[in-house]
Amino acid sequence: MTATTTADRSNRLAITRVGGQMIADYWEDLFVAREQGRKIVWYNGGALNPMFQAAGLAWCHGEAFAARLAAQHLEGPAQLAGAEYGYNAELCSYSRTHLGCAVLTLQGTKEPESGVVGLHDRADLASRLPAPDFFVNNYAGCSTGQQWDEVSFRVFGKQVPIFNVSHPFLWGNKPDAGYLSGEEWESASKYVRDQLVELIGFLEAQVGRPFDYDRLSESMTYIKRAAELRREGLDLCKATPAPATFWDWIACVAPINFLPGNQALVDYFQGVKDEIQDRLATGVSGVQDERYRLYFDGIMNWNKLGFLARKFADHGAAVVAGRYIQNAFWQEPQLIDTSDPLLGMAQHYLLCPTNHGNKTLEYLTLRDCREYDVDGIVFHSTRTCRAFTGPQRLLAKAARDQLGIPSIFFEGDVADASFYKEEILDSRLVAMLEAIDIARERGDHKLAGAGATVVGSS
Amino acid sequence: MTSTTAMDRLRAAARDHRAYVEQWRVRHPGRPVVGVTPMNFPREIVLAAGALPVVIPDDQRPVGEGRAYLPEFYCGFTRNLADQAATGRLGHYDAILLADHCIQLLGASDVARALGARTPVFFGMLISSLSDSWAPARITEMMGQFRAEAERLTSAPVTDGALRAAIAAYNADRALLRQVFDARAAGDATWSPADLQDLVASALIMDPVEHHALLAEALAGIGPAARDDRVRVHLSGHLCHAPRRELLEVIEDCGAVVVDDDLWTGRRYVQSNVPLEEGGDPMEAIARWYAERNTRLPCPTRVQHDADWDSWLVDAVRRSGAEAVVHLMPKFCEPHMFLYPELRKALDAAGIPQLLVETEHEGIPLESFRTRLEALVERALRRRPAYA
Ligand code: SF4
Ligand code: SF4
Repeated sequence: MTATTTADRSNRLAITRVGGQMIADYWEDLFVAREQGRKIVWYNGGALNPMFQAAGLAWCHGEAFAARLAAQHLEGPAQLAGAEYGYNAELCSYSRTHLGCAVLTLQGTKEPESGVVGLHDRADLASRLPAPDFFVNNYAGCSTGQQWDEVSFRVFGKQVPIFNVSHPFLWGNKPDAGYLSGEEWESASKYVRDQLVELIGFLEAQVGRPFDYDRLSESMTYIKRAAELRREGLDLCKATPAPATFWDWIACVAPINFLPGNQALVDYFQGVKDEIQDRLATGVSGVQDERYRLYFDGIMNWNKLGFLARKFADHGAAVVAGRYIQNAFWQEPQLIDTSDPLLGMAQHYLLCPTNHGNKTLEYLTLRDCREYDVDGIVFHSTRTCRAFTGPQRLLAKAARDQLGIPSIFFEGDVADASFYKEEILDSRLVAMLEAIDIARERGDHKLAGAGATVVGSS
Repeated sequence: MTSTTAMDRLRAAARDHRAYVEQWRVRHPGRPVVGVTPMNFPREIVLAAGALPVVIPDDQRPVGEGRAYLPEFYCGFTRNLADQAATGRLGHYDAILLADHCIQLLGASDVARALGARTPVFFGMLISSLSDSWAPARITEMMGQFRAEAERLTSAPVTDGALRAAIAAYNADRALLRQVFDARAAGDATWSPADLQDLVASALIMDPVEHHALLAEALAGIGPAARDDRVRVHLSGHLCHAPRRELLEVIEDCGAVVVDDDLWTGRRYVQSNVPLEEGGDPMEAIARWYAERNTRLPCPTRVQHDADWDSWLVDAVRRSGAEAVVHLMPKFCEPHMFLYPELRKALDAAGIPQLLVETEHEGIPLESFRTRLEALVERALRRRPAYA
């Protein structure tokens, strides 16, 4: 195995810069929403933004804001404020960052009480986030997600209304339980849909006007089309060499996850698909001289997006798929009936990649590894996200036992750079790629993992 | 039989639950033993089906093979559970039932499901957002599913009569335990915290009728004993599993006396009974027990806007006259980590000294704990009126 460590061999999609600008504009718009007379909702979990859009609200997705701060390396002041307030460093770093923002936002509305962050920091960073008029929690899968908003509610002195959507975990008790099928899936879908109807009543009470169902259908029509284009683009990436990689799709998470449903969103994903198609036509790949195709399991390490993209490309490793991409974010657009979108929306909230029992996750992971012709799996052992990391060892075992695919684990975190362990990733990645080379030389390249121990899983 | 032997038997069940299960099986041939996970599974339903419901404890063995299945940043209890699964130490259960959805508990339970092919692991998620208008209906529906599952496991119907008897048995046991806790809060120093933990831990394992009889025997003719003038402390937290006994012993060793707690293997388990009225519907009563339980002792794994652990704690401290609070937080327990700042704020505002101790599955350095505790005791002593 050879690795060039000097030139950047990653070849990111140019269009994602357009997405970056759309996202920046979105946040700027949110920061001035109150002055413009719009009410502001803070929410977590599944993408409720079309509901908020239809209700004429401005919305802040807590995880997204924490991810943005981390991606811009601006998470420090919020995390410090959270730490001073008493949040333990082992607590989910998304929630810690966002709760720190809540503390700063509150301090911004009062006399500053804390010496932790300077006025400059507060003005520039987290406190630009306008305080919420109310909260909506929509977290499936991870109990931490639900507790987080309840704690935000308490940090704001229980003065801000809150609405909770409860999601049954898709555990798979019954023999008929499967991905998108079985009685459990049907009844959970209906249960969450009914809660969305309740949510609409809550939103009406908050904004003081009837909910605009037509606007919801319109927004969901755009989102469905964008999601279809995204899916088509993802399918194109099954080609060898892959025309775009997981990291390009990571850059597309924010647009599909919380930008308003409108023509601009559709145009953006049309642009993504077109660029990928152009690359296929002209033989351009997402990684120069692709030699390995890897799967990435785990929530994103937002501090390290560009860095990781380059690191893997340096080794000729195209990360072609991952749980956080293929199995998240309006990934089953055929479920959405745009004339009556609530059920399809509810189903997508349930399809959060942390809301499945291991059996379904195993099915999805192995399916994607086969379809994307994957040579190995990289597990991001996300220190403070127990929801993503819980099933990883079982998934590694299944990939090894059933597909002969090796895997490595590396330590990092969603929004706390201090947990990232560079040497561990370097040494384990090199070891896995070497194992793949050796297996190929033996002529059984998809059996590199057979009988091998998973590197760094304990 | 003397009260000492009754206590010995309770202690033995608390400390070696597998031996108790074996003996129970001999006495009840052909009847299943069901492991249920803490902290909210309605054991009454399983007992009414003729099975023995055991709240799966942390068996306090070091985590070995389990490391290959769960990350090291899961709480000690769930890592221990994964280790029990990986080494066949869950083999004495015919099935495992869950109602709580702490993500770490789910991770460990999925490991148990994957590794224990012959042991069904059923998860019926009890709604944790308890302020919602649809929560009561949802709870009732889930209790019905538990009943159906218990019937399926035992191939026997769960009758209303059996449910009533099961409710009465657990209520009586919890009520008797509660008397002990209330007496302690009122000044009785008969029981050390380690003994009290054994009383509750055995209740989590044993058949409630048998436990109640032994408990009554153990209590007969004992106490009350007057408390000395050590600093009165309240122990708070430690969800899902018992803190190490050594820790409890050190606390009382360095000038403190435990007067109350809200530990899982303490008041949290015993605090509320199933509110079954004469002629009432037992399933409805079980549903109400869960729906109201969180107001009797708020739990950070639940989301309920009008149930506040922080104000409950301040009130409990005032009731018992505790002079300080020791937070026992299992490392990586997120629900506890989330609420801790609120607890700290409320106690600070009430002027109550406190100490946070993070416990680890493999034990904590007792000497450093002792030093910190002695400092807390000093602080509390300085606050005593000069004439005391
Ligand atoms: S632990 Fe993970 S899944 Fe849970 S709230 Fe945090 S980031 Fe989300
Ligand atoms: S509530 Fe805390 S102790 Fe219980 S399983 Fe969850 S993390 Fe572990």
